[in-house]
Amino acid sequence: MEKNYIIAGFGGQGVLFAGKIIANAFMVAGKNVTWYPCYGAEMRGGTVNCEIVVSDDEVSSVHKQGVDCVIALNQLSFDRFISKVNKGGTIICNSSLIEEAKPRADINYIFAPMTDKAIEFGNHKLANMVSLGVLSETEKELNLAILEKAVDMVLPEERKHLLKSNVQAIELGTSKQSSLV
Amino acid sequence: MTEKQLLKGNYAIAEAAVKAGCECYFGYPITPQTEIGEYLSERMYELGRGYVCAESELAAINMVIGATSTGARAMTSSSSCAVALMQEGLSYACSDELPVVLVNVMRAGPGLGYIYPAQGDYFQAVYGGGNGDYKLTVLAPSTVQECIDLTYRAFHLAHKYRNPTMVLADGLLGQMMEPAEFGEYPYPEIDNSSWALTGAKGRPNRKIYSCARDEDIHNEHIKHLFRKYELIAKEETDWEEFNTEDADVILVAFGSMTRNIKAAMKTLRNQGIKAGAFRPITLSPFPSQRLSELAEKCKQFIVVEMNMGQMVQDVKLAINGKAEVDLINRPVGQWLSVEEITDGVNNILNKIPAKVGV
Repeated sequence: MEKNYIIAGFGGQGVLFAGKIIANAFMVAGKNVTWYPCYGAEMRGGTVNCEIVVSDDEVSSVHKQGVDCVIALNQLSFDRFISKVNKGGTIICNSSLIEEAKPRADINYIFAPMTDKAIEFGNHKLANMVSLGVLSETEKELNLAILEKAVDMVLPEERKHLLKSNVQAIELGTSKQSSLV
Repeated sequence: MTEKQLLKGNYAIAEAAVKAGCECYFGYPITPQTEIGEYLSERMYELGRGYVCAESELAAINMVIGATSTGARAMTSSSSCAVALMQEGLSYACSDELPVVLVNVMRAGPGLGYIYPAQGDYFQAVYGGGNGDYKLTVLAPSTVQECIDLTYRAFHLAHKYRNPTMVLADGLLGQMMEPAEFGEYPYPEIDNSSWALTGAKGRPNRKIYSCARDEDIHNEHIKHLFRKYELIAKEETDWEEFNTEDADVILVAFGSMTRNIKAAMKTLRNQGIKAGAFRPITLSPFPSQRLSELAEKCKQFIVVEMNMGQMVQDVKLAINGKAEVDLINRPVGQWLSVEEITDGVNNILNKIPAKVGV
């Protein structure tokens, strides 16, 4: 069983960081995993994205044509990746910045106002963490304990004091804490 | 640290160099390998070792030549079009028999090309762009774990045989993250006291010099180099093979494409096609003999690479007409997907003509 994820947004929304948390979380859950970023000039504006492939077996290829699950944090990312979602796949959208439209009938949509929730919490930069909470609702391996461990693994030593607020922001994306999903 | 951690290929190479005892790093930034120099700029300083951000790639390779001529463990890293600038230095280092370690994280060419990954430097690495008869030892990692393991091996082989050794990675491998562990550097210390230029106090002076004005001596020098290359081929040729025993078709790839042909092999087996996979770990020396042996039984080989067909020529030379050799390729950009490979294999087996470069 193999599944791939793309998380995409503006440079500055922390999509590579959130992608590393997803990859680490699946690693902690015992899966084989790869993380591959777009790199270079793309980062200086427009959208940034990274792809995570999770597999019970050896990962077959790091960068695929289609994608099973997209997390889009802005409209540009939604527009860019909507056509790449595999039939029956899912797109998780930050409805604070993405119009709630469903241009395809053969995929699943989840809309959640991630940036609004993060602003309410006190820091708009945490919208990426809210998105991980939303993702945890659909991926059984990504429980809060594993996500917390993964955040801890990704945060550098000098930023460890941010662990608590990051985990709280993840919780905001889960159904336990809000009626987002 | 022995626990597995999620590591980027470039950082894996850089820390592996540190653990292999690299005493000096000289380099000039270029995407997609800049993280190697970035990481070492801090790490080498912490450890009190040498780090120079050189003014150019020419300077960098010549600094490595200088450092290794004293017996030091030294390396540089770069990418494609900038490795092209180092070819003169590599030819000198081969003739001078210096244990240079060079990492090439390939990007797209020719010319300036662009930063996305490709495998277009196979010829540059294996056949060389410098003058004269020489061979580098070339190792091609396929996973982040192998970025570590083969960086260790590169330092070992460079010093064991006094021959420049290249780790040929690609942008995909340099930029991706994957769980990996460093372990300990597994190779013994190599004594270089018999040749290193360490000052002639108390011993006769030595020279390391590639200019040979005596034809006989020069002939002997080159024969000596090639006896050494034969020894490296005998002792160090390395490859991996999967399901080759009963294979009707064997897929061949190097570097990070290995993962994709292994997955394609499994899909083909599920479709009822007896597929195998073969992957050289050393590109130079190339595992020609093993491919030749496999061609006694298997009559169809398909090379899958991200270039216009480079390694396929070495596969053809190895197989020497004993089996069909075809190519599935794309010059640059997105790695050939498992579906593209399986479709390509089915087309070849059913004799449907393929488009050039998929």
